Amino acid sequence: MTGFRRYLLRRLVLFFFVIVAVLTILFAILRILPGDPTSIFVDSNFSEEMVRQQRVLWGLDDPWWVQYLRYMRNMLTFDFGRSFFQNQPVSEIILEKLGNTAAMIIPSVIISVILGATLGSWLGWKRGTKREALTVFLLLFARSTPSFFVGIVVLMIFSYWLGWFPPGGMVSIGGGGDSFWSTVFSLDFLHHLILPMLVLMTREVTSPALLLRSTMLEVRGSDFLEILRAKGLPEKRIMVHATRNALLPLVTDIAVMMGFIFQGQVLLEIIFAWPGIGRELVTALGDLDYPIVQAAFYVMALTILTFNLVADLLYGVIDPRVVYD
Amino acid sequence: MAVLEIKDLKITYTTRKGSARAVDGVSFTIGEGEYLGIVGESGCGKSTLAKAILGVLPPAGRVSGGEILYKGEDLAKLDERGLNRLRWKEIALIPQSAMNGFDPVYRITEQIEEAIDAHDTWPAERKKARIEEMFALVGLERSRLNDYPHQFSGGMRQRAMIAMALVLDPTLVVADEPTTGLDVIVQDQILYRIKQIHDRLRKTMLLITHDMPVVSENCDKIVVMYAGKIMEYGGKAVFRTPYHPYTLGLCNAFPDLGGEARDLISIPKSPPDLLSPPPGCRFASRCPFATDECRKAEPPMREVQPGHVAACHHLDQVERFRREAAEPDTWRRVA
Amino acid sequence: MQEKLADSGGPTAAAARPPVRKTGFGRRIGRLLGGFTSSLATIASYPTGAAGLAIIAFFVVLALSAPWVAPHAPFDVLTGESKQLLRLKPPSAAAPFGTTNQSMDVFSQVIWGSRIALLVGLTAAVGSAVLGTLIGLFSGYFGGRTDDILMRITDVAFGIPFLPFALVILSITGPSLAIIITLIVCFLWRTTARVVRSQVLTLRQRPFIWAARAAGTSELKILFVHIAPNVLPLMFLYMAIGVQAGVMLEAALAFLGFGDPNLISWGRMLNLAFKAGAVRTAWWWVLPPGLSLSLFVIAIFMVTRAYEEALNPRLRQM
Repeated sequence: MTGFRRYLLRRLVLFFFVIVAVLTILFAILRILPGDPTSIFVDSNFSEEMVRQQRVLWGLDDPWWVQYLRYMRNMLTFDFGRSFFQNQPVSEIILEKLGNTAAMIIPSVIISVILGATLGSWLGWKRGTKREALTVFLLLFARSTPSFFVGIVVLMIFSYWLGWFPPGGMVSIGGGGDSFWSTVFSLDFLHHLILPMLVLMTREVTSPALLLRSTMLEVRGSDFLEILRAKGLPEKRIMVHATRNALLPLVTDIAVMMGFIFQGQVLLEIIFAWPGIGRELVTALGDLDYPIVQAAFYVMALTILTFNLVADLLYGVIDPRVVYD
Repeated sequence: MAVLEIKDLKITYTTRKGSARAVDGVSFTIGEGEYLGIVGESGCGKSTLAKAILGVLPPAGRVSGGEILYKGEDLAKLDERGLNRLRWKEIALIPQSAMNGFDPVYRITEQIEEAIDAHDTWPAERKKARIEEMFALVGLERSRLNDYPHQFSGGMRQRAMIAMALVLDPTLVVADEPTTGLDVIVQDQILYRIKQIHDRLRKTMLLITHDMPVVSENCDKIVVMYAGKIMEYGGKAVFRTPYHPYTLGLCNAFPDLGGEARDLISIPKSPPDLLSPPPGCRFASRCPFATDECRKAEPPMREVQPGHVAACHHLDQVERFRREAAEPDTWRRVA
Repeated sequence: MQEKLADSGGPTAAAARPPVRKTGFGRRIGRLLGGFTSSLATIASYPTGAAGLAIIAFFVVLALSAPWVAPHAPFDVLTGESKQLLRLKPPSAAAPFGTTNQSMDVFSQVIWGSRIALLVGLTAAVGSAVLGTLIGLFSGYFGGRTDDILMRITDVAFGIPFLPFALVILSITGPSLAIIITLIVCFLWRTTARVVRSQVLTLRQRPFIWAARAAGTSELKILFVHIAPNVLPLMFLYMAIGVQAGVMLEAALAFLGFGDPNLISWGRMLNLAFKAGAVRTAWWWVLPPGLSLSLFVIAIFMVTRAYEEALNPRLRQM
């Protein structure tokens, strides 16, 4: 287990290093590049004195390294300050939007993984048939189609033409529950969720399906399956062995997938007017609400990195063969 | 009654390039408690034979003729369910691929228990006791019961495989090149364990190998296969007084069989392509004594001694063959 | 982004040439181009690959001949006989794909838009493939500290969420095509670098490299003369993926309203249409740019798929 500990330590150090690097890049972009954040709410009517006060208030007159250290401390402790325009702490806004994004992503990913993995192991088991080849091609096809256009078309057909689903948003106006959870488990929410979820799934189902198919093919060729047959195990039981082996790489895949969805989510949230973190970032950029921009960006990067970390660590836990050296 | 009787067995592989008969008209029997060894170069169909007996041929292969009679029941005609009834409980396999023979993500014990559960309902204690007993039999420490396959060395994995093969006390044990990929000292240990199975547990055994000394030391019956066909078949006499030129050639390749110190001679060239096998004797292209007759007509299987048969057109000249086969120059003629 | 594979146009191959010494310079380019045309032939031997190449060729011709094929300039405002504006007109003989809410011809805009798609796809792909390959080569071959530093940079690059990052940068600098392309390059090189590096790690152990080193060949020469040619197929593959990813990313950024305002691209058309509510009212404005984008991206996918199969015969049976 010491090997694992050393690996864990190394992995955590890398995790921390990358976070600091990403934060530094963000700092550099927002402060060193031309453009003074105070210019947003300082207009020409402000007197010299008022401008100076604002600069002091936001700490912009301190030397850059003081600003940098303060920024680092704030970011690492999730102290994001207050929004320029919404009279609310940024952390509250971010948490709420992140929850909304997760409310769309998590069910989609769960369903996609179950469907995709089942489809994939079936494909791997039945390889060589015409139907299998066609399905694989369709999957690859679905994966390379720009999903935001799929989203637009779906919206056009099912919402505007057929009127089956609301054209966007997370709940109807005045709808939803009193709390996050009562909202998420309301029928109104589900009604709003279905379209964006379907669009997300058309893409997300392909990755586990294709992955499981190829690992299944690999597992099918392995010697131990022959021994399992020779042992007189029923077909179902052999499938269990094969699937368990084929599932290992899927764990990594799911985590990496989650990371990618969190950043690609922006497009779907715009199309379906979903009040998630991606949409919040775009809105904040339009408003030049920098505290929200930097917090949203940081949280999205953190999400990706955390999922990658989880993927790496989880892999060692579920596969007894992984050796840490 | 014979435990296993193979009758005119034919196994065909269908590939994109055509179909190949990997086993072509093979017949032999193994009686209760007998130990039969099949030898031959790689690709002669001996492993295919083992797979066919357990009904685990790869999808491309199928039994295209003949019978595999286990205690009178034709295994080739059984469906999966019927086979599952006999597999492991009656016929167990010690495979060639011990390295990858265990599922890497389950513990060894779990995999042995799984074999028991597939056929019987034993209480947990009985399973545990039986597995411990088997571990002791093959010389594995009890402390390793909960290990994963990757924690075992190659030799330990093969011993665990033997333990798993014997756990249900099967009637027939098929060992398919059980020492492949192991180093020499470990090979000896494994072969010693397998010999014990026969000597102490009185199992009926089928050993498939290219290791002639092992067969000649251990087995009561010997089958020499070449390119899907039996060349010679009989008791220990097959190696003591070989009749077939191929057997003579094989014996040359091993030092301790001839008895005297001399240069080892190996048979030049390689076996024929089974996608388009030559007419006549399959060994003709590599046989230093081959005549036109050999290249045209397939030699019939003839009894040379009671219980000892060989498939050669020129059995009458065997004395000359034996003399000349000991000379390296004879074989150089082929190359 | 899922990565896939393919091959692109002639100029890419020449640009991808590693900076080798003068000796045998022309010969090496010749070999590179030879390898390139033969991979095109391989791709064309697959039905999907041939179809993909045909579609791409169609778009290339369309982009090159835009001034002659397109009835109008991209921002021309169409007016009727009595000088009234032709706003949001459905397809007709005068405007085969209808008009936008600013009375512009959708058909012409789609044709002009193909230029942006090709330009972004090609430059981003070449840039990222070259950058990624160079980093992968150095990292894998020299190992040690060089490898550590380059791979940590790669790790950081993998930690940056592309779309949000690009949006932040573009909102500060203001949208421009050059910056969009630079951003896409900065995003795409990382995968190529990792893949090339692991390939180099195995190549480094091959006997012919030992032999070259024993013969006293300089390190740089070994790297660019002996190792680099062996990673070229991989580079082409990732270049093709890059074309696809580049086109998609530009479309995504433009759709979010961060496209170059002086140019018309498919993504930007979708942005304008979406903002104008055309999804509800004017399907003819939404579908042509969207379908063109999808068709182009899928054509590249078909080419990459064929190239991938040719490179990795195991896939063929799968």
